[in-house]
Amino acid sequence: MRVFDSDCTFEYSWEEVSTANWRKYCPWNDKSTHVVAVDTLSRKVEPQTGILRTERLITCNQSAPRWIVSLFGGKALSYVYEISYVDPVSKKVTMCSTNLTWSNVLNVRETVVYQPSPLLPNSKTDFKQEAQITALCSGWQKIKNKVEEASVERFSQNAKRGREGFEAVLQMSRRVFGEQRELENQ
Amino acid sequence: MSASLAPACNSLKEKYDTCFLRWYSEKYLRGNTQDECAELFSEYKKCLTKALKDRGIDTMLDEARKNSRESDAEHLKKP
Repeated sequence: MRVFDSDCTFEYSWEEVSTANWRKYCPWNDKSTHVVAVDTLSRKVEPQTGILRTERLITCNQSAPRWIVSLFGGKALSYVYEISYVDPVSKKVTMCSTNLTWSNVLNVRETVVYQPSPLLPNSKTDFKQEAQITALCSGWQKIKNKVEEASVERFSQNAKRGREGFEAVLQMSRRVFGEQRELENQ
Repeated sequence: MSASLAPACNSLKEKYDTCFLRWYSEKYLRGNTQDECAELFSEYKKCLTKALKDRGIDTMLDEARKNSRESDAEHLKKP
């Protein structure tokens, strides 16, 4: 198993980040082009806690390295299943995702958390991401290692692009929201 | 807004997403947890369920859901 983790801080409030997060993969994000569709499978507010639980299906264009595809075969599209939890009182978003495609070869479990930045909780948001990547294919350890290495590499590229793309979404969201408010105040 | 994996569901999805996003930022984050988009969701869901079945994704999802109890136990409770 390999672990990939990263963290960063966005210069936006938790409210802005957690709202924009729902449209992270909209056309304003021109970096995460491997994501082709995002569908909501279910959504519910837990009556006792007020926590919003959402299940989504993320459809990606094949983003595995070519040699892996030729080794294990594979379809043009891959699917990721995500459950997220929003706690509006403690201001925490947690997103847990796992791969549906190739689940017999590779297991990728990602957890992402968005929380207000402790020093400037009203204007900054901390982002933490951790992924556990485990090759499951039986046989040579060497191949498993290679599969894991390549997956971590690809994961970190997508994570970097994802961050850049999300910055663009945050910027556009703030602009559009500001314009909307101006219109409503006129 | 992002697309649906099924082009036929795109317009229903967009209507729902627009409703949800507005509700989320204007109501939910301000403490009002009353769902206002249920009807739009059930129309979109009807379309999506069929698409998932046609593509054989529903069985993959059932498998993945078996493991979701763990994360529910961890994240659905109050800290």
